[in-house]
Amino acid sequence: MPTLPTILARSGRAVIALAGAFCLAGCEKLNFWRMDGHQSTIVVDGPVAREQLDLFLVTCWVSLVIFIVVGSVLAYATFKFRARSEADEHAAPPEQSHGNPLIELSLIVASVLALVVIAIPTVKGIWNTYDVPEAERKDAFEVTATGFQWWFKFEYAKEEALVDSAGKKTPLITANELVIPAGRAVRIHLRTFDVIHSFWVPKLGGKVDMIPNRANIIYLKADKPGYFWGQCAEYCGDSHAVMRFRVIALEQKEFAEWVEKQAQLGREVPAGSGTTVSPQFAALKSFKTNQAGITAAYDKTPLDSWRTKQKAESQEDGNLIAKGREVFAAKNCGTCHTVRGHGAGGVTAPDLTHFGSRTTLAGGLLENDETQLRRWIHDPLAVKPGNKMHFGVGAMAGYMKKNDSGKGYTRNITLTAEDEVALVAYLQSLK
Amino acid sequence: MDATAHLTHEDHAPAQPALLNHPKAKTGLMMWLTTVDHKKIGFLYGFFALIFFLVGGFEALLIRTQLMVPNNDFLSAEMYNTMFTMHGTTMIFLAVMPLSAAFFNFIMPLQIGARDVAFPRLNAFSLWTFVVGAIVLNIGWIGPIFGVAGHNAPDAGWYGYSPLTSKVFSPGHSVDYWIMGLQLLGVASIAASLNFIVTIINMRAPGMTMMRLPVFTWMTLFTAFLIVLSFPFITIALVELMMDRNFGTNFFEVSGGGMPILWQHLFWVFGHPEVYILILPAMGIISEILPTFSRKPLFGYPIVVFSGASIGFLGFAVWSHHMFTTGMGTVATAAFSLATMCIAVPTGVKIFNWIGTLWGGHLMMRTPMMFALGFVWMFMIGGFSGVMHSAAPADSQQNDSYFVIAHFHYVLIGGSIFALLAGLHYWFPLMFGRKVSEFWGKLSFWVIFVGFNVTFFPMHFLGLNGMPRRTFTYDPNLGWDTANFIATIGSYVLGVGMTIYFVVLAYTFFKGEKVKKDYWDGRTLEWSLDNPPPEYNFRVIPTVHDRDAWWYEKNHKEEVAAERAEHAKAEEAHGGIHMPFGSIWPFVTAMGLFVISIAVTMMNSNPEPGIHARLATTLVGFLIAFIGIYFWSLEGNEGYHLHLDKDGKVIEDDHHAKH
Repeated sequence: MPTLPTILARSGRAVIALAGAFCLAGCEKLNFWRMDGHQSTIVVDGPVAREQLDLFLVTCWVSLVIFIVVGSVLAYATFKFRARSEADEHAAPPEQSHGNPLIELSLIVASVLALVVIAIPTVKGIWNTYDVPEAERKDAFEVTATGFQWWFKFEYAKEEALVDSAGKKTPLITANELVIPAGRAVRIHLRTFDVIHSFWVPKLGGKVDMIPNRANIIYLKADKPGYFWGQCAEYCGDSHAVMRFRVIALEQKEFAEWVEKQAQLGREVPAGSGTTVSPQFAALKSFKTNQAGITAAYDKTPLDSWRTKQKAESQEDGNLIAKGREVFAAKNCGTCHTVRGHGAGGVTAPDLTHFGSRTTLAGGLLENDETQLRRWIHDPLAVKPGNKMHFGVGAMAGYMKKNDSGKGYTRNITLTAEDEVALVAYLQSLK
Repeated sequence: MDATAHLTHEDHAPAQPALLNHPKAKTGLMMWLTTVDHKKIGFLYGFFALIFFLVGGFEALLIRTQLMVPNNDFLSAEMYNTMFTMHGTTMIFLAVMPLSAAFFNFIMPLQIGARDVAFPRLNAFSLWTFVVGAIVLNIGWIGPIFGVAGHNAPDAGWYGYSPLTSKVFSPGHSVDYWIMGLQLLGVASIAASLNFIVTIINMRAPGMTMMRLPVFTWMTLFTAFLIVLSFPFITIALVELMMDRNFGTNFFEVSGGGMPILWQHLFWVFGHPEVYILILPAMGIISEILPTFSRKPLFGYPIVVFSGASIGFLGFAVWSHHMFTTGMGTVATAAFSLATMCIAVPTGVKIFNWIGTLWGGHLMMRTPMMFALGFVWMFMIGGFSGVMHSAAPADSQQNDSYFVIAHFHYVLIGGSIFALLAGLHYWFPLMFGRKVSEFWGKLSFWVIFVGFNVTFFPMHFLGLNGMPRRTFTYDPNLGWDTANFIATIGSYVLGVGMTIYFVVLAYTFFKGEKVKKDYWDGRTLEWSLDNPPPEYNFRVIPTVHDRDAWWYEKNHKEEVAAERAEHAKAEEAHGGIHMPFGSIWPFVTAMGLFVISIAVTMMNSNPEPGIHARLATTLVGFLIAFIGIYFWSLEGNEGYHLHLDKDGKVIEDDHHAKH
């Protein structure tokens, strides 16, 4: 009968052997310390994030050096002075010394010096990253980002967009995908009207909060064209975890083209044009709660996917799109959403004028394709807990309408399968 | 006259109404409800704290289970948000703080040679107010069980940022439970802290000068001052929030021109000192354990004490480092950044002095020592990531990411919890006269140590790889799955370690090996007592001659014995050992506060039918509290005298003595 310590030693060896096998098998999976994901703060793509990273590395090195020195002394002291036997413990007590002021003072001075090494780049970094540098301020690109539960609105004050065929114009508004010129300083004005959100695109720079009654700004710059992941970083209620967005940085020329296209009214696809799409178009699939809604192809080359989305689909069914537009109007989607030129002018929900040209939907959560769009409009609540398209916002009803008594909800919008498919076709046509 | 003689009854109290009779129960429920003995109150604090520690730990395991794999649906979003809110609130206010309070209560009076705290009944009031506060905070869990809509557990984060806590965004009553729960806990903490401050200033044994106080007592004093100075800020903030929610004021209400940022300032002016409220007691415990198990005095005692004071003082000057991303402007950001770095100096000094304490000692590698050394290592790591946060531009990437979660768990588990676990093992022989098996103690240490690091070390990488906190789900394309999976496995190991720890502790409580007095060959006065300590603590109030008072006594036995006999005579001449009466009124007062709080949480800015019943309930609560306070005053602060035989047994108690 083996004793307990033997059993523990044996099982310990077994665990180590298993862990070794696991490491070998999953080497590729286990190297999480590479930290080069879409939201990495270590592999970065802009000067702001780089300055923050460099400062972090300074703190890291200083800490590491001190840790090794102090840790070695601690480890040495522990092993050197530990009692090796019961008798040793009860031997005559060691010298009852009380300290050494000289050692203590010199250690304090050393700590202060180590902190100065960190403090200097910190103070420099604060001034360098807070706002666009003086030299670049004249050329800085300005945009306003507003956080909502749970999506982002982007407003380009100086880029005008058509509101109607008569030529009336307003500032360009998009949602959830912020397109900026690459290689140019961008100053984003951060606003919110509900709760606190935080604007964070790790590869471009640290976060700044969006706080009601407070005019914050963030300075970012992308070195070169790219597609960047962003996420709300301040807990803002039920769906905080799925409040995401993207930043797309483009060469000046491509950016100008994009602005010009966005400035147009919502795209018209005449009924009867195109070809009839197959019955499988936007088939309703079942998804588990929280199931991911992105494809590997998109994830691998997101900027290419984005460029593809700018072009019209190869197969479009004019009749289906026309029906979708009718459904959109009949279900009063325009109360909250805007589609410029299509008679929808709501402002409490994302602008959909060029929805079909975005790579994502539902606040950057799902990839924008027929399947995911159908999943979203079929049951938004299953995708984003607590979301306003389901419950409505303020006095405006969503899929559900608040009862007059103030307690509970009743169904307001019901979509048939045909409605859903038509809506998907219509929204995808809005390039 | 020797110590066993007793005096004739000098004065008989006049006849009183039966309601004012002092409770005499020595056992059973009534004893626990009426006790004013600081050791029993300390025990109850510890008992409730450990229960809530297990609750908070269970919530943490649910959180980790949800995050084990990407896109998990183990918990709903709402339930996940409730879990992290309650995990944080529970661990801070219902586990670490009361567990520290348990040690303050049990150990501090023994360390300064006192027979009780300055205000024994106020101490009981603090305890029961803490208990009812904990109940109010957690009462929302039962709402969903009975299907009552709008009565859930709080889910707006432990820091309750406005405007998410406003009536518009949190329409149910969950935030009201959070507000009133925290208010009660604040009342309990402030009352207890005032008590500790007065006790330490006034009730030290002769010769126990301030610079001879054991470091744990020093840290108790600093913590008490921090609580008294910082809790008023959150009290004000919570009152304002309550007014906004129920009575239409506009402190934080954006539509009325309120400023949500104001909440953040008020909260963190409290919240940052709160961090030191959690860690200073731990540092005190470590500063007791390391000298005892190195068998030599603390290295650089004055500077360790002064560091504690500096940390507490600077703790009030750094609150905005929680707000580096709120757009404070360059100057404010730089100021708070540099002030935060300054805190690293006194903290570093403590580490150096602990190592100095080990240097040249005979280290007894027992379980408390293992936890204490574990503390030093883990606290170093947590401290370094803290310095990383103080660099504001770097912090703008780390803030609200898993890097921060890693940081403060290294400080709060690797720091506070390790120290508290060390303290439980260290003082267990004194408190209960029994000893945890070294094998099981060390086993639990290693399992906890490994589990803790496997859980929280990968979170540094998660944070640097851009994973934000308070997120109930994540996608698999962001490179977070492996680290999350490892962290979850680690959390289960940590859970197993904690289970071993507490099962072993519970076993030891009933069946453990009995040990003699001064089991660890201690240095401070509490070890001069028999274990468990008698109700009167010190047979004769000791006279202190040295910083390590008991160590001195052990080395100067004859001198001290002669002196002791002298003092015993003097004390007997004063009527024997004076003890305070128990009282039910602190408990009654706390119950009154409980009724008031529950009624206030049910208020509503839109009065519905039933509003009068709620108002009436509030008044009933006030009435109960008033009765409690009234009789509390009326029964007076009398006590009785004990007379002992030469073995320390009580031979008579003189119940009519007046003080």
